[in-house]
Amino acid sequence: MKRDMDRREFLKVTGTALGASMLAGPGFAFAQPQPGAKVDSMKLMTATAAMDPVRPEVARTCAQAFQAIGWDIEAYPVDYNQNVQKVIMEHDYDMWFVMLSGAPIRIDPDVFIFQCHHSSEYKAGGFNWQGISDPEIDKLAIAQRAEMNAEKRREIVFKAQEKISDAQAMNAIAYMQMTNAYRSDRIKNLTPMLGDGIGSFWADLSMEVIQGDGYVRTARPSEVKNWNPVAIKDHLEFMEVRMIYDSLFRIDPDGKAIPWMAKSFNIPDPKTIDIAIREGMLWHDGKPVTIEDVKFSFDYHTKWKAPFFLSMLQLVEAVEITGKDSVRIRLKDPFAPFLTNLLGGMFIIPKHIWQDIPEKVGLDDPLKYPNDKPIGSGPFKLDYWDQGREYKATAFKQHFSPPKCAGIIGILYSSHDATAAAIEKGECDRTRYILKPSLLLDLQKVKNVVAKGYPNHGFYTLCYHVRRPPLTDPAFRRALAHTIPRGLIIEAILSGLADEGGSVIAPANKFWHNPAVKPFPTDVNKAKKILAEAGYTWDKQNKLHYPKKA
Amino acid sequence: MQEYIIRRILYTLMTLFAVATILFILFRMVPGDPTAQVISPALDEAAQVRLKKAFGLDQPLYVQYFLYLKNTATLDWGRSFSSARPVFDILIYRFWNTIFLMGAGMCFTLVVGIGMGMVMAWRRNSPLDLGSTLASLVLQSAPPFVTGILFLMILSYRLDLFPTGGMLTPGIRLPPGLALLFNKDFLHHLILPTITVAFYYLATPMLIMRDSMLEVLGSDFIELAKAKGLAPHVVMIKHAARNALLPVLTVSSVLVGFAIGGQVIVEQVFSWPGMGQLMVEAASSHDYPVAQASFFLLAVLTILLNLVSDISYCYLDPRIKIGKEPSA
Repeated sequence: MKRDMDRREFLKVTGTALGASMLAGPGFAFAQPQPGAKVDSMKLMTATAAMDPVRPEVARTCAQAFQAIGWDIEAYPVDYNQNVQKVIMEHDYDMWFVMLSGAPIRIDPDVFIFQCHHSSEYKAGGFNWQGISDPEIDKLAIAQRAEMNAEKRREIVFKAQEKISDAQAMNAIAYMQMTNAYRSDRIKNLTPMLGDGIGSFWADLSMEVIQGDGYVRTARPSEVKNWNPVAIKDHLEFMEVRMIYDSLFRIDPDGKAIPWMAKSFNIPDPKTIDIAIREGMLWHDGKPVTIEDVKFSFDYHTKWKAPFFLSMLQLVEAVEITGKDSVRIRLKDPFAPFLTNLLGGMFIIPKHIWQDIPEKVGLDDPLKYPNDKPIGSGPFKLDYWDQGREYKATAFKQHFSPPKCAGIIGILYSSHDATAAAIEKGECDRTRYILKPSLLLDLQKVKNVVAKGYPNHGFYTLCYHVRRPPLTDPAFRRALAHTIPRGLIIEAILSGLADEGGSVIAPANKFWHNPAVKPFPTDVNKAKKILAEAGYTWDKQNKLHYPKKA
Repeated sequence: MQEYIIRRILYTLMTLFAVATILFILFRMVPGDPTAQVISPALDEAAQVRLKKAFGLDQPLYVQYFLYLKNTATLDWGRSFSSARPVFDILIYRFWNTIFLMGAGMCFTLVVGIGMGMVMAWRRNSPLDLGSTLASLVLQSAPPFVTGILFLMILSYRLDLFPTGGMLTPGIRLPPGLALLFNKDFLHHLILPTITVAFYYLATPMLIMRDSMLEVLGSDFIELAKAKGLAPHVVMIKHAARNALLPVLTVSSVLVGFAIGGQVIVEQVFSWPGMGQLMVEAASSHDYPVAQASFFLLAVLTILLNLVSDISYCYLDPRIKIGKEPSA
């Protein structure tokens, strides 16, 4: 019976992979090379220096390093939009150097294990753009999702990391630190969070103002797009909206889901979650938060297919009110990341306001509602928002966990240099997001400024399109892993503000990281040995050739 | 005359239609699917389909085009893809900020440029003339992102005389509009970007004024005025400068057009929340409604200024007569 299940599951998985790859087009249409032929040169795509100065540099360094094994590579920096289109949407690329940033919802291992490596995710818009299809990884990726016991799940995640490291569909080159800076003469007690640094929600709550009017002036790298909790599309939007709106759970500084609006919770069986909410919570307009609002929020997000939460909301069978302050959430299937990634992210919205949206504001869809005067129940309420300049949010003192500062002024700076200058001059107190490493080193010399790297679980990674030879060969990919000069990249390009990459789950992510998965040591001789053992040969010009026997 | 004005207005409308169409095509030629950028690829397929539908990106191109033309004609530019706010609301705030910066910069350029040009011609070949010519050419060759950053480095970081950027000190908020012009904090933030703009464009009106003045100064009526025993400054300002102004006027309308386009860089250097910054953001994030509307608005502004200068020319220069055959 057990065997039978496995076989069926295997067929299902390979079936979807085949289907997806046929849809994907160019990715699959690659002919097998002639035995003994010279290994063709390839392109290494990445974003331009305008978007991130690190990327083209690393791409060039890698391209140069691969010459040591007799393989020609061209670094190919193009506009990031085109990267996304070619790699994620069309699967028309050879290799891609990209940053998988460390958002809180990526602390749960599901994103890097399942989404980046399960064969069903090789589809337009999916995260397995490498096209890896390994039945063992697939099995582990599915199993870790369904295991609700954290300890048991961790064992599965550990095994998956080993398999993924062996498969080398992507090489995590470096875990970059969250390079943040703040004025130590103006603010203190900032609680950093994994992957969020001192721009974290916990820093928003914990920081205290030493001198000034009590407001913390925070530099933003890009414009706040809107304040609509239902229309969130990415993490930089999420970082601001989460101050105004609360969720049932929050992800704590180490990445664990902790009850937030929820007072207590209970999981009687893997498909059922009972939640009791705190009493006495208020909306910013003074009305009480009720259990009706909680149910309404689930229904509303589901009805209007809130993009950020859609895939997880599809797992919810029903939400039932079971008492004055309690609800029961029933799932269709057990789903381990549910607490962190849905309940720790989806915002609870006031029924008395959103029941009229979009109809009563003359719209046909709530995604078109900017919600520029948001009413939430979070620890900050929005005073004003001048789009393109700044917003001001003031502490909501009636909150059950009120902020220590008077509020936050979020200011848009047009460049990293402008942000660094403003911090240096004391016009700004704190960075919200990462700052260019070279600027961080400059700021370290400034009096009354703390500038340093904070732990992060995101990483720079070199992704291989494993459906294109020679990248189809795992031995070849392992040889590449030994060729990449990680130490040089970190010292010379990342100013030392990063750590050598090994597993796709970073060591900073303490609970989930498998310490047995280590970085591949840079050793060109070893790389050549692996290639030679796999049958590859070199010609007189030292160029690499495929094995003579297929 | 009337016929000429009507014809010019008709031409203007046709130009605007062409500009609108070119903008529509240009933005769709930018590499990368708009939906890939506006709509985060991190979302799963169902979520992407859902977003495309909400913003009308699932419609065929020609439908999007006609909708866009209709919206442009009625000045209802719809809603931003990224912020969901009405485009009109977004633009109006940014528009005023740009106009203030541009207005200040251009006033400075024209007043100083014309004044200097006048004096330079009057004292031709003096050290002042040669020095100013050299200085203005150097400034014109230095792009605003260089001068702007130099100003910031010296006057802001080192000497601490001015803020590093922005339009107001963080935490201060004023309603958009003319009230801003009477606010000390705003004016303090306005100075550096204004002189950056002014220094870059100064050479054009200054040198044209100088040349045009020199031409006028060689005329007989200037000799006559001097011979009449008029004070030198009266001759310079009342007789020479007034007659020398026409070419400067022509060139200044073109100059303002250039300056509005060049604004993008100055706003970026000084984190000025104007149209330029908005255009950069909107274009790079494929926010079509905002990008199209802001580029279109700039085109309207430039074309209108040209129209006004063309028409005003007929009134200012009595030698220009339109529609009448020269009588023998």
